Amino acid sequence: MMMNAAGQSTNAIDAKLVNTLMKAVMEVCGTMAGTQVTLKEVVPSLDYKPTGDISGVIGISGDYGEGMLTLSFTEPMAALLVGRLLGMPPEEICSEDMCDGIGELVNIVSGRAKTSLSEDSGTLYRLSLPSIIKGPGHEITGRPKNCPFLFLVFEAEGHSFVLQVTFRYF
Amino acid sequence: MMKVLIVDDSAVMRKVIIRELLKIGVEQANIQEAPDGLVGLEVASKNAFDLILMDWNMPGMLGIDVVRQLRGAGITTPIMMVTTEGEKTNVVTAIQAGANNYLVKPFTPEDFAAKVAQSTAVKV
Repeated sequence: MMMNAAGQSTNAIDAKLVNTLMKAVMEVCGTMAGTQVTLKEVVPSLDYKPTGDISGVIGISGDYGEGMLTLSFTEPMAALLVGRLLGMPPEEICSEDMCDGIGELVNIVSGRAKTSLSEDSGTLYRLSLPSIIKGPGHEITGRPKNCPFLFLVFEAEGHSFVLQVTFRYF
Repeated sequence: MMKVLIVDDSAVMRKVIIRELLKIGVEQANIQEAPDGLVGLEVASKNAFDLILMDWNMPGMLGIDVVRQLRGAGITTPIMMVTTEGEKTNVVTAIQAGANNYLVKPFTPEDFAAKVAQSTAVKV
């Protein structure tokens, strides 16, 4: 395993970051969307090519590292979560609220990762504004070349969704 | 009757906050929304509120800069940051800028109600 001067691995995702993100997804879905979510599996494979109907993407960067978080949902899963967030039935969620709600979810999850990275390093990490990708069955494979990555697959009420984490320390 | 201004670029988050405000007895007619910092600054400068709920990261003008401008203009309305910015250094920055309280997303309805009560109990 290659390490930088601070002893951080430059070719693998830090276990603490993965833990923070896992807890953040569960907490955001639980406290704000009233939905219990469980981690189904962690997949570090290039051969794994999950698809989604709506994805929220956010960049994270700091003095010691940079990365990208992508939360991808099927439309029914996204409608369920955004509906619970708003206290509305999933079938009443309009496209605009769906995109905005998924953007806010990825923003809150990323905020947790940013706080953890900042407090560990003693420097401030920054987040980009969230971007939304919408289109039935799009593949979630975009990532910087040679950047360590992982897929966290979550389950809730018969649906699943994926968080792709790419992050490298310098 | 408490008058509240919500400054947040996410329409969904504004709706979530409105729902929580309604639960604690704030009337819909007394809630105003601003979709970014610039509009928030204008609305807060021209109208009287009992509480301003301020996001941090917004396009156009950051919430923290809106807080600084409002305090610079002598506006003493209690301001509570409602943000994903959870670092201690950001909390300190916000308080130094003139915010009265700080709530990190995600929050529970109980956290929200308690922080609103705290925020409106003290004026700067």
